[in-house]
Amino acid sequence: MRYFGGCDAGSTYTKCVIIDENSKIVAHVTNRSRINPVLSAEAALKEAVAQVEELHSAADLTYLVGTGYGRNKVPFADENISEISCHAMGVHMANPDVHAIIDIGGQDVKGIAIDTDGTVLNFAMNDKCAAGTGRFFESMANAFEMSLEEFSRLSLKAKNVIPITAQCTVFAESEVVSLVGEGKPMEEIAAGIQLSVAKRCFVMAKKAGATDRITLTGGCAKNEGLKQAIEKVLKIKVVDLPVDPQLMGALGAAEYSKRKVHV
Amino acid sequence: MRDLSQLYYFEKLLEEANNDLVREGVARGLHPVGSVCSLIPEPLLNLPGCFSVRLRAPRTGSIDIGTYYMSSLLCECCRAILERAVEGGYQFLDCIIAPDACSQMNRCVENIEHLNCIEKEGFFVSYCDAPMKSDDTALRHYVRQMKAHVLNPLQEKLGVDISEENLRKAVEQHNQICRILQEISEYRKEENPRITGYEFAVLCTATYCCPKELLMEKLISVAEELKTRQPDGKPAFRVKVVVAGSEIDDPGLIGLMEETGARVVADRFCFGALPERIPIALNDAEDVLTQICRHYLKMGKCPRYMNAEKVLERQDYVHQLVQEYHADGVIYQQMKFCDYWGYERAYASKNMREKYSVPTLSIDRPYVTGSSGQLRTRFQAFVESLEIKKLQRKG
Repeated sequence: MRYFGGCDAGSTYTKCVIIDENSKIVAHVTNRSRINPVLSAEAALKEAVAQVEELHSAADLTYLVGTGYGRNKVPFADENISEISCHAMGVHMANPDVHAIIDIGGQDVKGIAIDTDGTVLNFAMNDKCAAGTGRFFESMANAFEMSLEEFSRLSLKAKNVIPITAQCTVFAESEVVSLVGEGKPMEEIAAGIQLSVAKRCFVMAKKAGATDRITLTGGCAKNEGLKQAIEKVLKIKVVDLPVDPQLMGALGAAEYSKRKVHV
Repeated sequence: MRDLSQLYYFEKLLEEANNDLVREGVARGLHPVGSVCSLIPEPLLNLPGCFSVRLRAPRTGSIDIGTYYMSSLLCECCRAILERAVEGGYQFLDCIIAPDACSQMNRCVENIEHLNCIEKEGFFVSYCDAPMKSDDTALRHYVRQMKAHVLNPLQEKLGVDISEENLRKAVEQHNQICRILQEISEYRKEENPRITGYEFAVLCTATYCCPKELLMEKLISVAEELKTRQPDGKPAFRVKVVVAGSEIDDPGLIGLMEETGARVVADRFCFGALPERIPIALNDAEDVLTQICRHYLKMGKCPRYMNAEKVLERQDYVHQLVQEYHADGVIYQQMKFCDYWGYERAYASKNMREKYSVPTLSIDRPYVTGSSGQLRTRFQAFVESLEIKKLQRKG
């Protein structure tokens, strides 16, 4: 059996997926990224390879594609492909009926429209600013002295939403601290943060031309409060994926690996 | 592909505004004239006795001082140029000629003037109006403005001879540069071009920033070298693109695009060759200034020309470049906060996709792009989507 790898060296998490010749996921890993993407990718690949009996090292993979911001630093990679293309392909493999993606990564937000073959039809992406990204959520959860999961659950309890006006991560944190100081309900502030990010996602989705059958990918896709806020602003039901949405980039990279060999 | 032997020489010229050739020109007694916009015809600033230097701010770091004077909502290019002026980077200039074309650049130059950034004795700034249409009335106005606010000040304050004969000489020198660049640009139409977009951008940008007569010899030698240059057997690119939009004075941005697998084959932006490096045809029946101005009005592709014919002509032109240079797509890029290109990019990139069916990437960007990860990802994703479609078409 031949195996194909995809390694998504993201800014906050490094993900690795190995698939077999039938595109079945046989191994997957999600690790917190270190400052050096080479070390992060190396560790993730090692763990993933250890899950497949027939493999001894990443060099045994028939083909390996690197993706994510550290895509050109993945050891043993035969090629690197942008995370935009990989997320599109990953989602297409997980659910071919999905037409568009909102990907909320550690340092960027992307809207991606997918063609019927899993390739990218159009995309939009934020630039340098970290507003509305995973880093933004981490910073907000830290301000609340909570984990991301606790923060998400808290926001779901809100009966009202307190709007957050600042989009900048630094200023938003100051605003949140001020609101907490004023004694505003924490869950309503949390819901306001979710709404502000959802609006950012709305912009990216619209810019990319996404209209229906939209799914979420990236680590923030697991944030139920955000998902509900996005459904509210986009007035659609977000499509759930049968595979961990955080793995979509790595899965797409692995699928591209397979196709590179089979083409 | 073997490196161009003169590439490093040209790259060095772009490292600062006051480069080796500018210093040599000044040492020879020529007057350096600062230019900030392609709406001022270059030959007028390159009459015998003076030469134009299109202002750039290479190796820009912080632009905080520029931002203080101009606010954070204005074009970063203008802010970076002001910052460089405050830092003393343009002390060598004898004057700056600025059109009232882009109000942001105008404000930049006004600040340079009012803050006395350039302390050279006799330094002056001249402002002139540039038309927003390209009809006969606009031409008459343009000619008057160029005479009153470009040629006359050069004559009165710098002693430049602005005779018809000298204007013809300046046009001929300009045309010579244009012809060499055109000859080089033709190689970009090849299936596997023998010159990269980055290399071309380095050569072309240098022609805006140095005394032309001093640059000529090296440029000719590059053209000679290219005649026999062999491209790599296997193309080192995946797709070909046309780049259109606001000014790119840093070839590094073209390099960034090419690192992701694109080959930039045509450049429709300020500091580019199309159409700025198309020779000016002169006849003997009409005065030279009018002919120069007509050429600039007719060929000009700046989005400041707002009449509908010009707007559509610009889109047709980009589409024509796509076909002529066998490109797979277009990258429309715009400097952040550039008003003119803000409108143009939105309209043109939509039409490029829908009316002309040309895949188009539309982005805004900062002045300093460096090794921007986000830009790299966008370029790469665009290249990948073009490549996949190309492979699918081939079946």
